[in-house]
Amino acid sequence: MYTIGILQLTQYLDDAVHGFKHGLAQRGITAQYHYRNADGNAMQLPKLAAELAELKVDLIFACSTPSTQAALQLTEDIPVVFTPVFDPVGSGLVHSLSLPGGKATGVSGMIKAEAKLDFIHRLLPTVQNLGILYHTGDNNSLAEVDNFRKFLQPGITLIEIPFNQAEDLSNLPDLLPIELDALFLPIGRVVEENFPTIAYYTDTIQLPIIASHPPNVSAGALGALVANHYDLGEDCASKAEEILKGAHPREIPVDIVKKPEILLNNYTAQNLGLEFSAELLAEATEVFE
Amino acid sequence: MLLTRNSVELLAPVGTWDVLEAAIEAGADAVYLGGKRFNMRMFKTNANFDDELLGKAIAYAHSHNVRLYVTVNNLINDHEIDNMRAYLSLLEELKPDALIIQDLSILELAREMNLTVPLHASIMMNTHNEHAVRTLQDYGITRVVVNREMSLDQLALLKERTGIEVEYFIHGDMCIAHSGQCLHSGVVFGQSSNRGRCLKPCRWPYQLIDMTTGKTVSDQDPGPYKLAMKDMCLYMNLPELIQSGVCSFKIEGRMRTADFVKNIVQVYRRAIDNYIADPTGYTPNLKDWQDLQDSRARDFSTCYAFGNPGPNSIGYSGEREPRFFSQAVREADMKNPTIKPLATAKSIQEAPPELAVRVADLASVTAACQNGAAIIYVGGEAAKPSLPWTLSTIAQSIEEAKQYNAKVVVSTPRITMERECGELEHFFTSMNEIKPHGIMVSNIGALRLAHQLSNLPIQADFSFNIFNHLSAKLLTDIGIRKATVSLEATYEQIMELFAKSSLPIELIVHGALSAMVTDHSIPGALLGRQEQMYEPTLDTRHYALLDTAGQQHPIMLDQYNRSHILFAKDLCLLPHLQSFQGIQHYRIEGQYYSPKLIGLLTATYRQELDKITNQKSAYVFDTALLDTLATVSPRELGLGAFRYRVSR
Repeated sequence: MYTIGILQLTQYLDDAVHGFKHGLAQRGITAQYHYRNADGNAMQLPKLAAELAELKVDLIFACSTPSTQAALQLTEDIPVVFTPVFDPVGSGLVHSLSLPGGKATGVSGMIKAEAKLDFIHRLLPTVQNLGILYHTGDNNSLAEVDNFRKFLQPGITLIEIPFNQAEDLSNLPDLLPIELDALFLPIGRVVEENFPTIAYYTDTIQLPIIASHPPNVSAGALGALVANHYDLGEDCASKAEEILKGAHPREIPVDIVKKPEILLNNYTAQNLGLEFSAELLAEATEVFE
Repeated sequence: MLLTRNSVELLAPVGTWDVLEAAIEAGADAVYLGGKRFNMRMFKTNANFDDELLGKAIAYAHSHNVRLYVTVNNLINDHEIDNMRAYLSLLEELKPDALIIQDLSILELAREMNLTVPLHASIMMNTHNEHAVRTLQDYGITRVVVNREMSLDQLALLKERTGIEVEYFIHGDMCIAHSGQCLHSGVVFGQSSNRGRCLKPCRWPYQLIDMTTGKTVSDQDPGPYKLAMKDMCLYMNLPELIQSGVCSFKIEGRMRTADFVKNIVQVYRRAIDNYIADPTGYTPNLKDWQDLQDSRARDFSTCYAFGNPGPNSIGYSGEREPRFFSQAVREADMKNPTIKPLATAKSIQEAPPELAVRVADLASVTAACQNGAAIIYVGGEAAKPSLPWTLSTIAQSIEEAKQYNAKVVVSTPRITMERECGELEHFFTSMNEIKPHGIMVSNIGALRLAHQLSNLPIQADFSFNIFNHLSAKLLTDIGIRKATVSLEATYEQIMELFAKSSLPIELIVHGALSAMVTDHSIPGALLGRQEQMYEPTLDTRHYALLDTAGQQHPIMLDQYNRSHILFAKDLCLLPHLQSFQGIQHYRIEGQYYSPKLIGLLTATYRQELDKITNQKSAYVFDTALLDTLATVSPRELGLGAFRYRVSR
């Protein structure tokens, strides 16, 4: 019987916890879980991590980058398994994906730019000018923009639309170039939270949005290719199993999302006068009406 | 007062099964939760209970001797009534301990369906006076979640006078605007805070502008988040709370985690139990207090529990805001309306429709009458530096209107707490001698008073949030002769309500409308000086909030020191009047306009309504009229909620 601490940033990521527990149970591992949730308040995380350390947990399952950072800052030598961290290397959690080198490993929620671009192409085959709206203060966003630059396909022009603070979205019409065919929203808290303001403006000019944050699809984005948090949690269970059985996290490679999921919004499609291909509809995990 | 364990109820919020178990284990006496349908937390699809889980939750709570209340507290439109009926009959079978409701139609449905489940009035009903409570009691309401703006002293009085059970928010997120009366999110985004979809414009950054100079009032500006209420916390004031007679202590947070809810419930449970065991020997537990402090998101305030808290209740820096939901947007202009003429069920009447104009002064009464207004609304709130209507100016306006065969209807303030109700008793009695043609009331309490004290015909203002024909029917039953439709309703929703309602429906077609009404005096909080009893600039200058989209929202400070925060654009439906054919009552909300503008607006609307009546389908709108109005309007014109096909 092991003792496992779970350090959660927000209940929105709880599917990963459920997947993690299920994965461990399937592997015959029984554990006593101590769950700490900062309820969105990242300032709470160091205190909650310290509570877990006091409980002498064998391992911490950390959901989100700030949770992982808080767990890594503990002076105790407690191994950490993380997800759905977008950029484990860029955010300094590991040295490299293949050889983490520290006390943490996990499964990254990053979906490769190639896969996202391919999805955008399937969703909107005629797209030529693709806008990418990102917050310059968000490292995850910056990393994703960088990935997009590298994997751009011929025929698509990437138009970067950086902004420095959330309030800049109030004047989004001044930022959006006229020639855009679609707008892609990378991972990033400011864009995700303030999605209603972005959609408010894109609605009036019939500009389709491809999102990265699942709730933005039900709120009006045309579609998104996203990681399934439950699956990520399950994949983390195998990392945890290795660690509990004696392996050191510094040698356990970080995986990335294996099977991204397609989310579509049919109501938005109708408003835009678009129709999803039968193929895409069949593949979609969820189609919002 | 002799206290027992049952003297007060600790009421915990529940969003998921985990939280249900945690709240009960932590010692909640009762929990409240929403089903998947019709409640105030509609954003998160993984929260709330589906029908089957609802039944299990009720059984689970009851097996632990815990009461369970189901929130059914959305405004609903005519389209949703059948689903609501089905949902209510399911709930009747499941037998929760009460339903917490907002829409007046539920009261109507409860009668029609002989519901036996007790009904509680949600905070969204904006119940803040004894007269409203009495009417709700007539409809079987046994408990009221009272306004957050009420102090404990006022609650004690309310309870003593009516015997109603009082539920009060004691911990958690607050709204700065009066609940159920905030239209900002609904009108601008088409996502109504009265339907669980608030995008929280009160959490946007704003600058205070002096409208006389057009400059920012930056002197001593404590920060941009001028409407961001701190979280309520009454832990340190539990004795006062218990002694006030509040029966249910409500913790906010149906989206919160099990841990969060458990901690707060435990802390309050211990305090309540300790106090009840030994009230005179009670002291708050400082460790628990520290725990609450340590795990807080926003800073705490006792909000209105001990009177208007002023700037102390605002987190101006925004540093501790847990998250944002939107940023300011440029409000809808006159382009892209969603008004597409529908065939209405009612035949088009031959008589030209009636035009009413709400005005602020005698000169405007004359201007409106001379240009074809049939009804003039006077009275109610005045925006400083304008003076309130006096009995004498009301009498004069009646004399003036008589010359033009126009009628004068007196309106009353939107919020009528103890003070305003006391004044209204005098006012309504006086009206029996002054004899206007009618009274317009803004809440069911004022309606009850008007009924008791006067024989004049009474109509209901937009603040009744009329969205469906059953609510209109209820108003008819309690003596209303005409009702103004909700400002959040869209074209389709209005036409459906109109087709089904036998109560005459009035539509506001033009005007400066308030997005929020709040007891917090925004300029007062920033400019009022503690050492002075009176700050004259507040009575003589106009202020506005500048949002990050560059738009100014004028703050109209009324004689009760409430702030009415206006939308940045004024509503204008002039080009679309033809689409509303059949509706016989139109209104210009002109109390913030000059007499000259009132004259022009009245003449223009009167002329177009007449043309539509005479020319019928041959009518063509001349867009030059709109250009004229746009040049003389104090603000840009916009479509408001009519940008949207339906209000979500």
